[in-house]
Amino acid sequence: MQKWFKFAAPLLAAVLLFGCGGSQPAATPAQESTPAAQSAPAPAKQPDLVPGSKGEMILATTTSTQDSGLLGVIIPLFEKQTGYKVKIVAVGSGQALAMGEKGEADAILSHAPAAEQKLVDAGTVTNYKQIMHNDFIIVGPAADPAKIKGMTDSLAALKAIAAAKAPFVTRGDNSGTDQLEKSLWKQASITPDTAWYITSGTGMGKTLSLADEKNAYTITDRATYLAQQKNLSLQILVQGDKPLLNIYHVMQVNPAKFQKVNAAAGEAFVNFMVNAETQKVISEFGKEKYGQQLFFSDVK
Amino acid sequence: MNLFWEGFRQAGLMLARRDPELLQIAWTTLRISGLATLISMCAGVPLGLLLGLAHFPGRRFVASFVNAAMGLPPVVVGLIVSILLWRYGPLGFLHALYTPGAMVAAQIIIAAPKITGLTMAGIMQLNPRLHLQMQALGANRWQTYWLLIREARLSVVAAIMAGFGAVIAEVGASTAVGANIPGYTRVLSTAIVLESSMGNYDVALALCFILLLLSYAVTAGLTLLQQQRLIGARVQRGGWWS
Amino acid sequence: MTALLSVRGLNLNRGGRQVLTEIHLDVLEGELLAIVGPNGAGKSSLLQSLALLTPARFLSYAFAGRPLPLAGGRPSRADGLALRRQLAVVFQEPLLLDATALENAASGLKLRGVNRKEALKRASAWLDRLGVGHLAGRHARELSGGEAQRVSLARALALSPRLLMLDEPFSPLDALTRSALLHDLRGMLAETGTTALLVTHDVTELAHLADRVLVLEAGRIVQAGTPAEVLAEPRTDLVRQMAAIARQTAAALTPLAGANRSGPE
Repeated sequence: MQKWFKFAAPLLAAVLLFGCGGSQPAATPAQESTPAAQSAPAPAKQPDLVPGSKGEMILATTTSTQDSGLLGVIIPLFEKQTGYKVKIVAVGSGQALAMGEKGEADAILSHAPAAEQKLVDAGTVTNYKQIMHNDFIIVGPAADPAKIKGMTDSLAALKAIAAAKAPFVTRGDNSGTDQLEKSLWKQASITPDTAWYITSGTGMGKTLSLADEKNAYTITDRATYLAQQKNLSLQILVQGDKPLLNIYHVMQVNPAKFQKVNAAAGEAFVNFMVNAETQKVISEFGKEKYGQQLFFSDVK
Repeated sequence: MNLFWEGFRQAGLMLARRDPELLQIAWTTLRISGLATLISMCAGVPLGLLLGLAHFPGRRFVASFVNAAMGLPPVVVGLIVSILLWRYGPLGFLHALYTPGAMVAAQIIIAAPKITGLTMAGIMQLNPRLHLQMQALGANRWQTYWLLIREARLSVVAAIMAGFGAVIAEVGASTAVGANIPGYTRVLSTAIVLESSMGNYDVALALCFILLLLSYAVTAGLTLLQQQRLIGARVQRGGWWS
Repeated sequence: MTALLSVRGLNLNRGGRQVLTEIHLDVLEGELLAIVGPNGAGKSSLLQSLALLTPARFLSYAFAGRPLPLAGGRPSRADGLALRRQLAVVFQEPLLLDATALENAASGLKLRGVNRKEALKRASAWLDRLGVGHLAGRHARELSGGEAQRVSLARALALSPRLLMLDEPFSPLDALTRSALLHDLRGMLAETGTTALLVTHDVTELAHLADRVLVLEAGRIVQAGTPAEVLAEPRTDLVRQMAAIARQTAAALTPLAGANRSGPE
């Protein structure tokens, strides 16, 4: 019978371990969490709170906010200002919104306005605020077989690509970027042919790598492109057109609909994202490293 | 080629200046995978031993189940465990999602069958009469089990190395249940994926080298253990076990 | 002359098959009792049952005058362990551990709580007596069949058992090795006065070592007596064959039952 104790004890330990894991605050990260160093913004004026001392929240967000490095800057600020520990679940906008629909997140930061609106209408999310935007750009090989360089009409550019049957990489993962790209094809009344339309099924960073590898065109947000530029030979070919606008919203998952949501934290996060200081940080982000800002503030 | 050299150099630099993020990530990796392997070992080796020795109806079924579980895809484990741990999921009351504990649990599910299955195979390879001889010499249960595990130690240590190797390197389950949160659930494997998706290939490669180094260090240690003979000597004496 | 081991009503059933039926036997102090029988008769099962390695049912089981309390015909696990620690068993295969000859020879002693130094000393002495002292540091897997079996014997004898059980210990070995080992074993047993139970096929062993013989067939004892008696009046085919071989080499195989051994007649 002692044999069984040998089984039970470690399993019990495991259950206790991950039972306790939920309530432990993590050690305060001393500086940037990712080894890729970004310039640290000016520290908050109030004394720093220990992240997790006030509880935890789950933020469902997109890979582009993470891959560009922005989250790495603003989340620690939020944690120090409010004392909440943020668990960032960076997936595509589609998945982030799906998590919201299940009440598995407290706040969402995404850039798929059409899909988001559905959630707003259904009352799944509240406190829906537009916080920033940047733009998408069409990038492609320097050789530019479809001859779209300098075009100002994004739809015309896509038509040219289709006509030339030039390779084009799509993310195909229902992310904000993916949703925008698909809507553009629809607006141009084109159904891309799989002969030249390649699906990567991954995040923006890898999609750019793939496009680079295949000398293909793709649509990307400017921030990720700039962050990856050093590894790519792709060029910016089309930019500035209105449909290429990439708008980010922050929202709370409705506590009235989901009891288990951390309402206080969600609200605090939304308020944090719209306050002047944070907006300033967002606007400054990237200037030092790339010579231009990556995100434009939308809060007046 | 240049990139590999750059990565290697970065690894060296990060280690030399004891880069705090790196140390944190490496320590988290060791803690989580080490604990998962340890628990899997404590459960898996005895279970493998029992399955290897016992003859009961349905043993073949249990054995085939263990063998199948050895091949469980980590990403499947990750998805299922995360769904179980969702707030509104059956185990949501544990509030364990996106914690190191959840990662340990997922990694146990990945490692334990491997350790059990390989130990079981190792025990089954032993001369079946050896068990009898040990008993005839007057070994009590625990002495017998210990001696048999020692006899099969090559297989048992290989089993542990397989379990450890599987979990320290995997990404799918760790990401699904851990979410790669910096300073908390970020481990070497998930950090590598993040860095490469951000385009920082030099850092990603540096982390790769360090992961390899860590993995090798543990494996080398276990291999030395495999060769050690002294361990069994004191236990064999019986003492208060008899 | 007392019975060291006294067993009544031993029955063994395995997987629905009755392997041993109503066995009664005594092993007398200081004697060597041989058990012979055709393949599948249940000789090994009998030995294992007597050593409490296989769960058989007994009507009674007494060792060194002390009857073991039985529940449902079986002794308790603790009693079984205690009893086994007074025995030593040598099987057909050496069944050595993955270690040196010396460590193997000492393993039995260590299991029984003897401290390492003392165990190694005694083991070393027995390896010498069995003529394999020079192989003490050799690893088990490097030993020949005969050498390994000597180590196994040393391991058993080093335990100074009250009862030594041997299950066809020399049958896988070649004739020369067999006869040499036989000779040595006979010497050891005589020297120490150890009681022994030997399962065998071999006429030579039978004739040279055994004081008494039990013939086992299909799980029952069909004949018992001294080797001379049994060979003279065989009741089974196997024993008949053995007797024939014995007659063929009559001169060399004159039964010496009891003549070399101190004690029982």
